[in-house]
This record gives sequence, structure tokens and C-alpha cells, in this order.
Amino acid sequence: MKKIFPLLLLSATVQAQNRFPKPDFESGYNYPDFNYFVPNETLWNVIDVVLLVIMMSIVAYAVVYRRKRAPVFIVSIISILYFGFYRSGCVCSIGAIQNVALALTDSSYSMPVFVFLVFILPIIFTFFFGRVFCAGVCPFGALQELVNVRNFRLSKALSSVLSIIPWIYLIFALLYAVTRSSFIICRFDPFIGIFRMGGDFGVIAFGGLLLLASVFTGRPFCRFLCPYGALLSLFSHVSLKHLTITPNCINCDLCRNACPVDAIRPPYENKVKESRMAGVKRLFAYLVFLPLMGLAGALFLRLASDSLSEANKEVRLHELVMQNETNPQDIQPVDVEVFFAQGGTIEELSSRVVEIRKQFTVYSTVAGALMGLIIGITLINLSLKRTRKSYEIDNAACINCGRCFNYCPQNQLTNKKE
Amino acid sequence: MEENPKNSVSPISRKKFLKICGSVAAGAAIVSVSGVAAKRMLQKEGNCLWQIDPAKCTFCGRCATDCVLTVSAVKCIHANKVCGYCDLCGGYYRTNVKDLNTAAENLMCPTGAIFRKYVEDPYFEYTIDESLCNGCGKCAKGCNSFGNGSLYLQVKQEMCKNCNECKISKVCPSNAIQRVPVEKSYMLKDG
Repeated sequence: MKKIFPLLLLSATVQAQNRFPKPDFESGYNYPDFNYFVPNETLWNVIDVVLLVIMMSIVAYAVVYRRKRAPVFIVSIISILYFGFYRSGCVCSIGAIQNVALALTDSSYSMPVFVFLVFILPIIFTFFFGRVFCAGVCPFGALQELVNVRNFRLSKALSSVLSIIPWIYLIFALLYAVTRSSFIICRFDPFIGIFRMGGDFGVIAFGGLLLLASVFTGRPFCRFLCPYGALLSLFSHVSLKHLTITPNCINCDLCRNACPVDAIRPPYENKVKESRMAGVKRLFAYLVFLPLMGLAGALFLRLASDSLSEANKEVRLHELVMQNETNPQDIQPVDVEVFFAQGGTIEELSSRVVEIRKQFTVYSTVAGALMGLIIGITLINLSLKRTRKSYEIDNAACINCGRCFNYCPQNQLTNKKE
Repeated sequence: MEENPKNSVSPISRKKFLKICGSVAAGAAIVSVSGVAAKRMLQKEGNCLWQIDPAKCTFCGRCATDCVLTVSAVKCIHANKVCGYCDLCGGYYRTNVKDLNTAAENLMCPTGAIFRKYVEDPYFEYTIDESLCNGCGKCAKGCNSFGNGSLYLQVKQEMCKNCNECKISKVCPSNAIQRVPVEKSYMLKDG
């Protein structure tokens, strides 16, 4: 009896579909056997993570301890060939931001361990050695690095304005990820189409333009678009160990000229002498200005939250359904038809959409506040002038590519001695 | 102004102190994020591959047009053990065909990817040439409307690029595309 019961159940579900009985073959016909290919995903993920760690270690050792560029160059080529063309990009550390954000806010989302490792390992390495991931382990950075011939410098005003974009991009990516709307970093990834040699034409064209731009100026994507670079710059800023200017620097300015990302700052003497009182006043002005910027941003995005929520699939479906209710068509859109066929009711959908809209209001307020703060901090940083006695590396901006090493005469000397 | 030189020498410069504070904060951030994520990952095992749930699929045809690949990684597959081996096959012939022959105007598949072989009266065996299939799902729709539903759409894992977010899943009207564990990488009808 025990055995018959599940069998009965099974046959009931199958018979719901079986309009025609299973044929009785008399000619000894055998059913063909199909074996569907299952990729050995676990093995590949292990290889990916191990390679990631090895390559970052090589870069860290070569750049931070040995001041050599050649290993970084080799790592770049391996990264483009393996992570880029062979593995064709997914999942990458940049995109993994969204998975991690979603996993942290939504407990129903399941994130594979591998994705988390891809996200956190470069951050850990950055915390110890600076942005060694960006140097050449990231296939996107490596690709731009290899095509870079000339290094035209952008004006400080332009590069400061453009360097806000990665933060805004990061914040929007988080907003759309935690509301389960879309992974915009993956959707608008400019280089993945090049690695896969196919994809959305607009995005590939954009990637092509970026590559063209990176022939003439260093790493436009890394500097002015990459949200993961923005995140890493925070950790690089306070990294425990970081590449420094060659000791016994002779102030020749050659390294600054070679740097593709403007991370080397020349000596600067701040001639403006400010009285203590004026300094205190300025500090207070900043402390008032910053929260105001945050508030303005929060208000702005809160007002825009309804139109932002339209990126969500459910919200769009709700709109389609409502349109169809007010103005019924003979042929319903597929989405509406399927929605009703699956037994969806308008009330249930509406309540879900109200919930999503609420989420959007909360999260976009936070996102707006963050954006305001970031724009404010950028402006404040522009107005600060600090005296530098010698050349200094901006740890947050430095991507450890090692281009400066070959230009530094002091470094050449020590290399020769070795 | 007289100043005691001992007091004016700070044991640590302001910049250094701020940097240490920053490092501590960054380290704490890494540890706490890892902690929370580890807790989440221990509760639930992550799913790695994309697959179509045939029970939900409505054969809307978007798989053919919305995959990031030029020729979609979604293909029609055939469950022989479910198939009725009919002569008048809803997946093979268009509706209202006059003659049951292999003339192109009679066939459902726009790329001619379905082939049939006579087994014995009145049975025909159907096979799909996956190199021709574009995943439009027309045959699957016909088979599910008039037959046993043995033709259905699946993501071919050797072709799928395993995007972080499947582009088709964002336009799928029935949310049939979902993440599955590696060991259940196909949702087959004939088990």
C-alpha cells in the first residue's frame, strides 16, 4: 500500500498532460538515451578563486616589495585571456557587489560562497597592499592598460567632476540590487560584450569608445565609471601597506608624467596662511554644508523614487495590468495574459507594488543622502590645500600598475645594483 | 609665546592617527560583512546555474530574442518517454495543415530543426537538431496545446554564459527562469 500511494499520485500529475497514451511498440523500438552536459562549475569556481589569489599575490609582491612592472604585465595578459576571453567575465568582482548587497538585505536570496569570495578577496588584498586587484588581475583594467599608448592628462576640474560618477553608479547599483529590480552593473558592463564577442550593440559600442579613449588617456573606465574601484579606493586609502615613492627621490617629476591615473602628487607649498580663527570658521562652514548637501540629495531622490521604481519588473507589470483594465484591448500583452493565467489578482499585485514602492522610498532617500554627502566631500576636498614637501602617492587613486618604476632613475639604479 | 617643547611634540601625527582609525574601521567592516554573509551562506546553499522551470514556461518566445548570446542558449529538448509519437504532431506541423508531409509551409519550426523518423505504424520518432534550434518555443507551444508536452525549453548549460543576472529572466512573463543547484542543472520531464 505504501508503495502504491505515491505511484498513484505521480500518475495523476503525469496524466494531466498525457493526452495521448504511451505507444506500444511492436518492432522492438528502444527509447533513445540523452545525456545532457553538466558543466563542472565547482571545479571552475575553485580554479577561479585560486588564480585570483595567486595573481593578486604576485602583483602585491612585485609592486609593493620589488618595484617591478614586468610581473604585472604578465598577470594582465593572463587575466585578459583567462578571466576575460575564456571565462567570459561572469561572475566578476564588480558585479558581485550587487549579489552581496542583496544577500545582506534580503535573507531569501541565496548567494553562492564563490560569489562572496570573488567580492571579498580583492577587498582584503586592498586592505593589506592597496589596489593590487585593479593593477592587472581585473580583466577590464588589464584590457585598458594594454591598449594605453599616450597619456594625455585631464584637467583637475574635469577629472574631479568625472570621478563622482563611480560613486553615483555604485549607489544606483546598490539601490536597484536591494530592491530586486535589476543588476545595472552587469547590464551596462561595457567590456563583457568584447570578451564574449557578441551582445547588445549599444553597450559594445560604448565599450569600444571607452577602449579608444583609453588609448589616449589612462583607464577611463577604472577612474570614471567602475563602482568597485570606488569601493576599493576607500580600503586602499587606509591600507596597512602601500607602494611608496622611491626612497631618496630626486624630485625629477618623471613618475608623475608616467602615471596613467594621476595618482602621484607633486610637492606643493601652500602659500595661503590662514589664521586659526578663519580655519575654525571654515571647518564650521563645512560641517553645516555637508549635512545640507545630504538633505538636499535625500529630498531630491525621495521625490524621484516613484519614477525610479519603474525599473522593477513587478511595478511595470502592475502598470501594464492597470492600463489593460482601464482600456481593455482585444489582444492582451503576453505579460498580462500570463499574469491572469497564473491566477494573479489585481489586489494582490497592487499590495506587492505598494510594498515595493515603499522600499524604494526608503532606499532612495538613503541613496540620495549618500550622493549628496559624496558630492559635498568632493567639493570640500577640492577646496583643501595641503603642503607637500616631496612627491606623494595618492593611495586611493593608485592602481599599482607599476608604470612609474621604469621611469624612476633612482629605481633603475637600485635595480641595476641587484 | 613660550611653549614647553615637550608638550608640542605629539607621539603621533594627526594624519597617522586618522589613518589608523580608518584602518581599524575598514578591518571591522570587512570582518562584519564576512560574518553576516557567512551566516546567510550557512543557512542556505547558493544556486549557481540558470534553468527554465517547464511547469511555469509559457513559450512566449522571448528566450529566442532576449538572451545575451546571438543565438540563444535556450533550446528545445524532447522527452521521448512523454511523447505520444503521433503522426499529426502539434509541435511538428502548423495548425490546419492540409497534407502531412515535410514541405516547409507545413512545418512549425521556423528553422527546420525538428526531424522525424518513421518507427512503425502509426508512430513517428521526433528529434531536434540543437545546432538549428533558436529557442523560440513555437513547437513547445504546439506540443503543449495539442499533445503531451514532450517538447519543452531548457537552458543548455554548455552554451549558457551563466550571467550574473540572466537577461531573459528579466523579461520572462511567468518568472520561469530561476537559479538551480549544479546537481539539478536540468529540469527534465522524463527524469
